[in-house]
Amino acid sequence: MKRYGEHRFPGKLFVVEGIDGSGKSTQLMLLDQWLHGEGYGVIFSEWNSSPLVRDTTRRGKKKQMLTPATFSLLHATDFADRMEHNILPLLKAGAVVLCDRYIYTAFARDVVRGMDRKWVRELYSFAVKPTAAFYFRVPLEVAMKRILVGRSGVKFYEAGMDLGLHEDPEQSFHIFQGKILEEYESMITEFDLTTVDATLPIEEQQAQMRQIVKAKLAQAKRLRVAP
Amino acid sequence: MRETYSVPLPKMGLAELTGRLIVIEGTDGVGRSTQIKLLRPWLEQQGHAVLDTGIKRSQLAARGIQQAKEGHTLGRITLSLFYATDFADRLENEIIPALRAGFVVLTDRYIYSLMARAIVRGLDPGWIHSVHSFALKPDATFYLRIGVDDLIPRVVFSTGFDYWESGMDLYPSEDMYESFRRYQTALLAQFDAMAKEYDFTVIDASSEIRTVFERLRTGILRVLKGEPREPLFEVPASEPPLADSSPSEATGAGKAKRPAAEKPTGNLEEPA
Repeated sequence: MKRYGEHRFPGKLFVVEGIDGSGKSTQLMLLDQWLHGEGYGVIFSEWNSSPLVRDTTRRGKKKQMLTPATFSLLHATDFADRMEHNILPLLKAGAVVLCDRYIYTAFARDVVRGMDRKWVRELYSFAVKPTAAFYFRVPLEVAMKRILVGRSGVKFYEAGMDLGLHEDPEQSFHIFQGKILEEYESMITEFDLTTVDATLPIEEQQAQMRQIVKAKLAQAKRLRVAP
Repeated sequence: MRETYSVPLPKMGLAELTGRLIVIEGTDGVGRSTQIKLLRPWLEQQGHAVLDTGIKRSQLAARGIQQAKEGHTLGRITLSLFYATDFADRLENEIIPALRAGFVVLTDRYIYSLMARAIVRGLDPGWIHSVHSFALKPDATFYLRIGVDDLIPRVVFSTGFDYWESGMDLYPSEDMYESFRRYQTALLAQFDAMAKEYDFTVIDASSEIRTVFERLRTGILRVLKGEPREPLFEVPASEPPLADSSPSEATGAGKAKRPAAEKPTGNLEEPA
């Protein structure tokens, strides 16, 4: 069992992080399009998507039976399944793996929920260190405006309602995201996150991202899919 | 005051947990559940309210684990974390409320079994200890100890060999008898190592059911009276069965012998 650190697999792992409304998913989608166009074998892996754990997570959320500890462990189980059966074999096979959220999401959320900072980091120490982790930095108010417009109701855990921050889901969401933002900020140096100013025009952010990804891919052998 | 092995969980309220937490540990088929069936009415006759719980009985994760084990794509880290989720759910929703209400909690296995299984499967001992470090320290752990030679006839004549209890995920090329033997030997080595580290009270489980029950009663009475507990007998320094517990041709399993010093070199690959 290898601990968190640089991997030597032929594949490359790029992840995006940031609070809801930072625009990270949009940026990852654009990167995906570009990489496909360039002929790379690209695979997406989304946070909280393991089929093995899905039913349990769904039930726990629906019945609101998750505590900070079980919320954390269940997401770690989900991540482990994707790591063992998806991300790792793909990196060994030489794919470019794109992750919408990675372990830093868990670090931010679980710590805000009251889990011990060191414990959570140790919990995820089986994770592979990304080739680059992009953090989309955005002021809370800007992100809130992007999100709460046209969205019908925030979900219970998404709003951090389990923490009893505020009775009103929207207010609770606001406070919760603010705390998560603080955690992200403290992780920039800790994990060497590549910060992108998420208030810039979308095209400009994407250009920055592609430049960095291009440089990282140039270091590896060409991982192109056969035509 | 009650303690955890490391950091407590949010809202654990350690000071209010006045009940008693008693762990019955031991390998598969050793007679843990038989003993718990005897202990519960006995404790209740003494006037104690009892909660009994055990691995994979959580509201949250029991069904999910069962489904996952029926498939063939369950990784070792994933399996360990799924069980840790099950444990955390029971700890917070069953064990802690019962302790707060002054119950005697009898638990069929605890984090020790979970850690032993993970280490035998080649996971990093430091990591698996840390994952479970939010667990409450029990008032006593009774380790029902048995040698593989005494264990095999019991299993054969009761439930038969089970896929997971035989470690078939670790030794797929062997027949079930062989893999059961190797897997359980490796597990026993882990339990023996933990007996010292975690101060288990060791009970010879090769004795008659009645004898084991009497020893457990004596030990539990001591815990309930708040008397210091003593190991009922020492684990022999070198047990002969441990000699063949390092199947060198199977990656991971040989790591069972030395839990603390193990420096894992492998990665997340499945055992060969």
